[in-house]
Amino acid sequence: MDKAPFSSNEGKPIKCKAAICKKAGEALVIEEIQVDPPQAYEVRIKILCTSLCHSDVTFWKLDSGPLAKFPRILGHEAVGVVESIGEYVDGLKQGDVVLPVFHPYCGECRDCKSSKSNWCARFADEHLSNTRRYGMASRFRDSSGEVIHHLLYVSSFSEYTVVDIAHLVKISPEIPVDKASLLSCGVSTGVGAAWKVADVEEGSTVAIFGLGAVGLAVAEGARLRGAKQIIGVDLNSDKFELGRQFGLTDFVNPTLCGEKKISEVIREMTGGGVDYSFECVGLASLLREAFISTRTGSGKTIMLGMEKHAAPISLASFDLLKGRSVCGSLFGGLKSKVDIPILVDSYLKKELNLDSFITHELNFEEINKAFDLLEEGKSIRCILWMDK
Amino acid sequence: MENGNSSGDTKSSPKPIRCKAAVSRKAGEPLVMEEIMVAPPQPCEVRIRIICTTLCYSDITFWKLQVPPACFPRILGHEAIGVVESVGENVTEVVEGDTVLPTFMSDCGDCVDCKSHKSNLCSKFPFKVSPWMPRYENSSRFTDLNGNTLFHFLNVSSFSEYTVLDVANVVKIDPSIPPSHACLFSCGVSTGVGAAWETAKVEKGSTVVIFGLGSIGLAVAEGARLCGASRIIGVDVNPSKFELGQKFGVTEFVNSKTCENKRVSEVINEMTSGGADYCFECVGSSSLVQEAYACCRQGWGKTITLGVDQPGSQICLDSFDVLHHGKILMGCLFGGLKAKTHIPLLLKRYLSNELELDKFVTHEMKFEEINNAFQLLLEGKCIRCVLWMG
Repeated sequence: MDKAPFSSNEGKPIKCKAAICKKAGEALVIEEIQVDPPQAYEVRIKILCTSLCHSDVTFWKLDSGPLAKFPRILGHEAVGVVESIGEYVDGLKQGDVVLPVFHPYCGECRDCKSSKSNWCARFADEHLSNTRRYGMASRFRDSSGEVIHHLLYVSSFSEYTVVDIAHLVKISPEIPVDKASLLSCGVSTGVGAAWKVADVEEGSTVAIFGLGAVGLAVAEGARLRGAKQIIGVDLNSDKFELGRQFGLTDFVNPTLCGEKKISEVIREMTGGGVDYSFECVGLASLLREAFISTRTGSGKTIMLGMEKHAAPISLASFDLLKGRSVCGSLFGGLKSKVDIPILVDSYLKKELNLDSFITHELNFEEINKAFDLLEEGKSIRCILWMDK
Repeated sequence: MENGNSSGDTKSSPKPIRCKAAVSRKAGEPLVMEEIMVAPPQPCEVRIRIICTTLCYSDITFWKLQVPPACFPRILGHEAIGVVESVGENVTEVVEGDTVLPTFMSDCGDCVDCKSHKSNLCSKFPFKVSPWMPRYENSSRFTDLNGNTLFHFLNVSSFSEYTVLDVANVVKIDPSIPPSHACLFSCGVSTGVGAAWETAKVEKGSTVVIFGLGSIGLAVAEGARLCGASRIIGVDVNPSKFELGQKFGVTEFVNSKTCENKRVSEVINEMTSGGADYCFECVGSSSLVQEAYACCRQGWGKTITLGVDQPGSQICLDSFDVLHHGKILMGCLFGGLKAKTHIPLLLKRYLSNELELDKFVTHEMKFEEINNAFQLLLEGKCIRCVLWMG
């Protein structure tokens, strides 16, 4: 069987548009850049649409420390099609629909082969490099030839990007691409956390701190697992209405709790505390509250939010001793290549609700508006279309 | 039905008992051997005659402490074995003459948590270091000879010839088991072995690190050994613990005082090429919990805390570490075991010679010498010192 003809750009750099972050906290600038061809084990993909996740905002604002790099192409939640492949890339060809995923899965190391977690020891690192296998080498160059840094091995705020195969999942072309892109980070993280990390069982009680896309996805995941009480905690009461679509049964707005702490209110509502609590904001103080909202003897707290100021987490040892546990998780404990297709399937079978996450749609050029919408708490997911 | 009366029986109801007890009257001072009065058991209570009791470091923690939940005068002690002397109304689980273990861990069998296999923390009698009997508000069964109330400790108060327990804190056991071994299941051995078996669920071939080789740590080692752990690394500041630890299955030893400029967690990460599958903290120190967390393996490492720290102490973790490295931190009381369900199972394993307990008992004394036992434990010179009643 002949191989499908590859694009005319194969092996050559591509000139295209990207939204560049030049300085911490400043509006992204849309400029022409150059994207190099994929090296061995890499794939160059054409982004169809991408969305903004709060972690992008955290990196956007970061102005010091080893993780702050400029200029940089942000974005890590997206969907694309394969434009060309590097050496040793099996199973992918031009035109395949793929999701780039910031969390690695090599499929071969001891951890990838274990069902205990989604850790990949082979590619675990501190997210300091630009490419997975080539260190600080970057595939992006601006119009004056200067290197532009990658973000989390994805960099989706660009018409084209280059992604390592450990960070790519091929998916069915049946699913509408904008819904699929949600599975590249936020929704998978939340649903996975309920499914794999907490292993929520039927009849459980759950509390979710922070009803952004990740928190709402946790609710959706808990709903699918049969949780009987799903309590959402957020400062914005509008989130309750939206949250109900994802299975929220109760809502707590901390500003309306008076003198009481959120954890007290939750313990009262549930006769002693929830089975599972999820921190989906990224605040050590909130994690503490989530922790003591759980039942003694069996309560599990899962941290999904990236701490905004790298503040340390402080837990009372007596509260821990009384049979509670806490763990953090990246990408909801999912092994991307194994689990994302399962979620795609669940959507196609009309079990998993993805549509309700999309609250806005804009052209890629309007990306800075998407930042505003998210910062103002007005959007859950805003889809940015490349070609419209 | 009246106390003790049935079908015309004229058996009289239990009376107060006058007996010896070691009373803790002031924080950190030697216990005072004195005569006290032990009231009869109320409904759902059981009065027992202690056969022998031992000293656990948690007794020392609340003996030394000068602020609540420490309180004085108090009868400490919570690891023991006894015989039922009399029962209160509505007690059907045990009768006079039964051999029982008192357990600080309540097991009512009825509440949501007791019925759940996930938890061992009874919500009908939530765990707290209380001065009172659990079922009746502000109620004590002890008074000294001047009529002053003496406070209870952890639902047990075993440093007394007689004590009163709620039926939720009593486990009936086979009387043929040597008391000096059986009493260890009432706290230390169950806590340590349970933590390895039930809470961590250590698998064959795992690498385990144990911080603190006191009775609890050694019991964890014993539990891990029986689970088939391939490496059991013991960490302690006392080098003599290594030789002792080897009897319990400890395969390697790290003296945290002689690590030169390295942190213990660094040394362990090096020894294990990236961290252990399970780390157990058996001392009761937040900074040690942090060290344990730092040397449990990324991806699936579990750190389990068993040690009881000062009230109010905080464990501080780096948020990047918690989010990114997939490690689990969990705490457990009584090894995650349900007293009435699991103690009998552990006793079976003892009777079938799987669990070896001789090595835990390093000293035996008369009850009157209890202050010597405190000294021995404070100086790190004993594991379990069994105190025999008259």
